[in-house]
Amino acid sequence: MNTTKKLIWLAAAAALGLSMTACSSGDSGSGTSGGDTSAAGAATTDAGTTTTTGGDALVVWTWDPAFNIYAMNEAAKVYQADHPDFQLDVQEVAWDDIQTKLTTLAQSKTLSELPDIVLVQNNAFQKNVINYPELFSSFADSGIDFSQYPQAVTDYSVIDGVNWGLPFDNGTAVAAYRTDVLAEAGYTIADFTDITWSQFITLAEDVLAKTGKPLLSGQAGSSDLIMMLLQSAGASLFDADGNPTIAGNETLKKAVALYQELVEKGILVEVNSWDEYIATFVTGQVAGTINGCWILASVQTATDQSGLWDITNLPKMDDVAGATNYSANGGSSWAITSNVSDYALAADFLKSTFAGSTAFYDTILPSSGAIANWLPASKSSVYAEPQAFFGGDAIYAKIVEYAASVPSNNTGAYYYEGRDAVSTAITEIINGADPDTALQTAQETVEFAMG
Amino acid sequence: MTRTLRNLPGYAFLTVAAVLSLFPLYFMVVSATNTSQDVLGSRLTPGTNLLQNVRDLFATADVRSAMWHSAVNAVATTLVALVVCSIAGYGFEIFHSKGKDRLMGVLLLAMMIPFAATMIPLFQLFADMGLTNSTLAVILPAVSTPFLILLFRQSSRNFPHEILEAARLDGLSELMIFARIYIPTMRSTYAAAATITFMAAWNNFLWPKVILVSPQYQTMPMLISNLTSGYVTNYGVLMLAVLLASLPTVVIFLVLQRSFAEGITGAIK
Repeated sequence: MNTTKKLIWLAAAAALGLSMTACSSGDSGSGTSGGDTSAAGAATTDAGTTTTTGGDALVVWTWDPAFNIYAMNEAAKVYQADHPDFQLDVQEVAWDDIQTKLTTLAQSKTLSELPDIVLVQNNAFQKNVINYPELFSSFADSGIDFSQYPQAVTDYSVIDGVNWGLPFDNGTAVAAYRTDVLAEAGYTIADFTDITWSQFITLAEDVLAKTGKPLLSGQAGSSDLIMMLLQSAGASLFDADGNPTIAGNETLKKAVALYQELVEKGILVEVNSWDEYIATFVTGQVAGTINGCWILASVQTATDQSGLWDITNLPKMDDVAGATNYSANGGSSWAITSNVSDYALAADFLKSTFAGSTAFYDTILPSSGAIANWLPASKSSVYAEPQAFFGGDAIYAKIVEYAASVPSNNTGAYYYEGRDAVSTAITEIINGADPDTALQTAQETVEFAMG
Repeated sequence: MTRTLRNLPGYAFLTVAAVLSLFPLYFMVVSATNTSQDVLGSRLTPGTNLLQNVRDLFATADVRSAMWHSAVNAVATTLVALVVCSIAGYGFEIFHSKGKDRLMGVLLLAMMIPFAATMIPLFQLFADMGLTNSTLAVILPAVSTPFLILLFRQSSRNFPHEILEAARLDGLSELMIFARIYIPTMRSTYAAAATITFMAAWNNFLWPKVILVSPQYQTMPMLISNLTSGYVTNYGVLMLAVLLASLPTVVIFLVLQRSFAEGITGAIK
């Protein structure tokens, strides 16, 4: 019983102590440093430890220590060379969390909690700016020359002719294949370059028959590939005015039919989760993948497959006007918020680094694989260097070359609703539903969401 | 012999259920010792990559800070919630009246409202009070929950009123009756309530994520979420982080296991 009494007293004392901590931890600089979460392998910088927003310090929200956070910290170093007092506080916030925070701050009108700069997924950019324009500052007065970016990339964040985002992360789509598996079936990467989807299916069936390995995999119920197919032909789920064009969209119907054929012929293996999708090529179950070029970072985690991969462009849709071998998936752009403490400083920082420093891109490419959207950087010799993992191919130069040919994607405010509705439709079609009916239902779902 | 045979299907079912329940835990522990590629390949045997995973995890994320913030949030929430809810449960049952019953009904209705529906007004409230980025903001919404009040109220049903009368006759104040008689008698209910609250507070993700705008206050669930946000997820490191985040709740549950079962079934000794 004595022990119980002691425990109760201890608990009471702890409660008191913790309440004190609770009351005081709202003060900034309370001693426990979080925030500074630089990646393993990435150089740790002093930026990331300051918590003030006055003076020259800018607060940035972004995700991925090995990629975006690393790039931001490197940009700070470049800028600090000419501006020694410049300070950057890069805070790690996952994209989903950024989206939740943006929505909450906008709806509760608490804009003072916004950082100075935030990274936004390209596909979600228009949605956020259209729904919550009060969160952002446009790049109209930044002095940045957006003509130095591929138009398809800047279009994600252009609303009514005004730029709201500075493209950073490159989402250009690539087709990556295991060259050893292709060789086993008697093919090379050249046989898969500049081809159409019908040619791809013939080749992939042969590879499957000879090696037992499918060339593609994907998450069941995900519309990633369908969206890439649409964009490769300059098509979208919406018209120029933002109205959904899912029902009766011939390009979409062809894309869905193509997807269905890939699944039925065993060329594309459907799995249940993103992790399983990564596992399919990392463990060698499939011999290729088609996705945004950022997928190559995951491909390269299979160190035992070094030298056995190479990339090329996507197959082109058959009999579709405007079809190309190029597309994109994902990518992200920097936004300056409306709460920016010093707009001129934030704009100048981004202009001098992400939109103005070849040296900066030369640094981040080899160590993080961050490929520039800024065209002048892509002319650097660093991009032409052979990559051992990809059989000595200069894949970065290839990707930048593809990027210039990607048709624009019309995302709009309801892009994700459109994607989700199409994903549901695809699942139903794969399970035997009539494509026209399923797409009509998807159209109605999106119209309902739009109100 | 026949009895054993008769029980065989039951044992078989329980064995299968036990394996199914324990397998995710086993996979979590084993994966923490494997490389990312091994985890993706569903390797089921322990590997040799534990130390590397530890090094990578601590280099990538501020685990100590996240553990500390999670611990402060969970312990403070648990202690304050126990005090507030047990007093409320005690009041509702010991000073019973029809009006209080109706009030209890209203409280129970509040259990039906999903948190997502109240999140934005709640955020606005805390922002207006200048409490964003404070542990207090994480704790306050959780200190009084209808479920805990109900738990204490239901358990208090069996509380012997004779003891109360005797204590009052002996001149003990109401506060002392609560502290010296009620709390020790209801030990198992406290243990059950502590386990439930601690687990909920430790695993709480959505509200801390929203109210702790500045990431330097991040908790373990937020840290784990960040580990999966990059283009490349190191699954070995991720599983190690999940293992570390699970340990405190496992320890709390094991320590309070017996009382927990008693408390949930409402036993008073």
